[in-house]
Amino acid sequence: MLIYRGLSRISRISKKTSFGRRWLPSHPLLSGASHSAAAAAADSSVKDSGNISLSKTREAYSWSLPALHGIRHQIHHQSSSVIEEQLDPFSLVADELSILAKRLRSMVVAEVPKLASAAEYFFKMGVEGKRFRPTVLLLMATALNVRVPEPLHDGVEDALATELRTRQQCIAEITEMIHVASLLHDDVLDDADTRRGIGSLNFVMGNKLAVLAGDFLLSRACVALASLKNTEVVTLLATVVEHLVTGETMQMTTSSDQRCSMDYYMQKTYYKTASLISNSCKAIALLAGQTAEVAILAFDYGKNLGLAYQLIDDVLDFTGTSASLGKGSLSDIRHGIITAPILFAMEEFPQLRTVVEQGFEDSSNVDIALEYLGKSRGIQKTRELAVKHANLAAAAIDSLPENNDEDVTKSRRALLDLTHRVITRNK
Amino acid sequence: MLIYRGLSRISRISKKTSFGRRWLPSHPLLSGASHSAAAAAADSSVKVLGCREAYSWSLPALHGIRHQIHHQSSSVIEEQLDPFSLVADELSILAKRLRSMVVAEVPKLASAAEYFFKMGVEGKRFRPTVLLLMATALNVRVPEPLHDGVEDALATELRTRQQCIAEITEMIHVASLLHDDVLDDADTRRGIGSLNFVMGNKLAVLAGDFLLSRACVALASLKNTEVVTLLATVVEHLVTGETMQMTTSSDQRCSMDYYMQKTYYKTASLISNSCKAIALLAGQTAEVAILAFDYGKNLGLAYQLIDDVLDFTGTSASLGKGSLSDIRHGIITAPILFAMEEFPQLRTVVEQGFEDSSNVDIALEYLGKSRGIQKTRELAVKHANLAAAAIDSLPENNDEDVTKSRRALLDLTHRVITRNK
Repeated sequence: MLIYRGLSRISRISKKTSFGRRWLPSHPLLSGASHSAAAAAADSSVKDSGNISLSKTREAYSWSLPALHGIRHQIHHQSSSVIEEQLDPFSLVADELSILAKRLRSMVVAEVPKLASAAEYFFKMGVEGKRFRPTVLLLMATALNVRVPEPLHDGVEDALATELRTRQQCIAEITEMIHVASLLHDDVLDDADTRRGIGSLNFVMGNKLAVLAGDFLLSRACVALASLKNTEVVTLLATVVEHLVTGETMQMTTSSDQRCSMDYYMQKTYYKTASLISNSCKAIALLAGQTAEVAILAFDYGKNLGLAYQLIDDVLDFTGTSASLGKGSLSDIRHGIITAPILFAMEEFPQLRTVVEQGFEDSSNVDIALEYLGKSRGIQKTRELAVKHANLAAAAIDSLPENNDEDVTKSRRALLDLTHRVITRNK
Repeated sequence: MLIYRGLSRISRISKKTSFGRRWLPSHPLLSGASHSAAAAAADSSVKVLGCREAYSWSLPALHGIRHQIHHQSSSVIEEQLDPFSLVADELSILAKRLRSMVVAEVPKLASAAEYFFKMGVEGKRFRPTVLLLMATALNVRVPEPLHDGVEDALATELRTRQQCIAEITEMIHVASLLHDDVLDDADTRRGIGSLNFVMGNKLAVLAGDFLLSRACVALASLKNTEVVTLLATVVEHLVTGETMQMTTSSDQRCSMDYYMQKTYYKTASLISNSCKAIALLAGQTAEVAILAFDYGKNLGLAYQLIDDVLDFTGTSASLGKGSLSDIRHGIITAPILFAMEEFPQLRTVVEQGFEDSSNVDIALEYLGKSRGIQKTRELAVKHANLAAAAIDSLPENNDEDVTKSRRALLDLTHRVITRNK
């Protein structure tokens, strides 16, 4: 498994003649540094330095085999032709994302000025977050064989395709509204001070307005959902809200056994992180009139991508950008949230469970836990699990019905690329 | 206007031969004590709004009249409609279904969500009552499966969907209560500890979100996107109304228009839009749907205006025995707004705020000298009559159940303005 992450990017570049075909193998040991090429393109492309902040994938591999430890890839020395052939998932949809952002800001305009400021707090330019979800959804829309409409193509406007695309963009907007609403409420629940680098809304304007703003966004999302006139889609996204709540409650109210259970943790993680992206991917497929099977594949992609993302998130909370433990923010464990690395470590060292049950208000317990974690294979096992889910996501894309349209192929490659980015990201 | 409320119930009973026709006139001066007969039935049957007929602020000449509500003949009771008993059985079914709809995976969430749906704590169930009556009034037969051995499956399905609207409305309402209590740091609600007081703010916020999401899922199951839009808009209105209340400028706080708009958002939007949803599900025309909407809207506004009055008067005939909770929280309601029109100097007091309780006393003094309370009641009566007019404008229908339900809806327009608690 570790060899996968350690393969030299240089050797990958020499394989560039194979770009014409699907270039991301599904076997973990062979996937090599395939993600790296795209990451390089991302780092060096114009869009990266623009107003869209991407998930920066500097390729520093922690926890890799000692022999490969010294390899750092020269990502800025790519030839331009290689950059063009390499897909940057985010640049594929950058223009659309700007349109979405504008529309989203207009959708959260409210009658009452304070409510308007509250609601658009997190949609302001520069604070939109990584916009990971809308990117995935727009790519998925194209990947499922919906032509991005070109109104002036042969002078014929493709009205139906445009309408469908608009509806799918709407899903992306709704998803962001639901996501931000849950952030607003979560920050109230957690008494958080900052979010996305600025003061959290509750910190700046008070809990009351934060709760109301969250409710407002939810209601706007519902109205937008209703406008799509597709009740299955409404059900899907309404269920997401329920899942978000359930996941948050699961986190708040665990018994001792539940906190130490990997199953419980994965279920909670699905509810809190993966449900939104999986169900909205499925909604994209349904709006496109795809079959139930394809809809399930879209769902599976989103679900596994989301799970992989969260598992790496758990790792980074311990490792940060450093190769060793303890330089991460450690915010999970300090809040008493037991994540996958610790759960794996507990399997190896049952005595760690006693420490966990004592809680972590005492920071010496944090140090003890970190010690056990370092001795265990907790971090590695978590990464392995993340890779497993990333590969499941890639497999879902590979199972989509064949399609030779250039845009479709590009988008599918971009979606595959994302499955690698989520596990190789370092912050 | 005041004569309306003061007419003797005894004289009304002697008119019982007129029960065969629509017996609730729309003109306020003639409507008499028509509500009283139904109220009598109500007191002696299911416990509902509890409108004991004590008229405050009525003309001195009528002040001494108290109606002997327990001396009705049984035949009169049967002929008099009790809006709540008409739908009592259905309400029980709804209550059971509602409790099952808020079952959650996580036990704590389940306890939180069903907190206000437990037996005995369901509140007055005013909204579901209105909605079920509206459903019947709009010519939907309450299905009788064994009638002539034929089951009316379509009618049953429609009825179920309309009951679902009532359940959704309750979920949205309770969700907003849960969040409001968090926002207001309230300790009690419906006579028991508020959820946030008992289980903490976090769980209250989550439970509110949970109920909202369940409501959305239930809405989606109705497969009618216009209905989904209507009720989603209600949530938005509830939020907007609460925000309007929280963030007023000085001019806005003293504006009757602003107050009525806020009141519509906070109180009337839910009932008006769900009445409209009932009509839409029944396949009624847009005109009928608007009538249903108007009924709900005016009923809701009338209800809130009387609520404002009762906050000052309570069950007493004089000012100051009410809970005064609005003014103490700095919420300026219709009586004070009307008083400010008569006594501009009251505005200065209002702008100082009411944390100082001597300002409360000053405001009450002005209120007592003004016609604020009367004008508010008059406005409530006006809205109640608009609601009644909407029912009267519904298309003719001679079905017995339809007629009964419409009379019950008319009866409610009187109850909301004569209630005393």
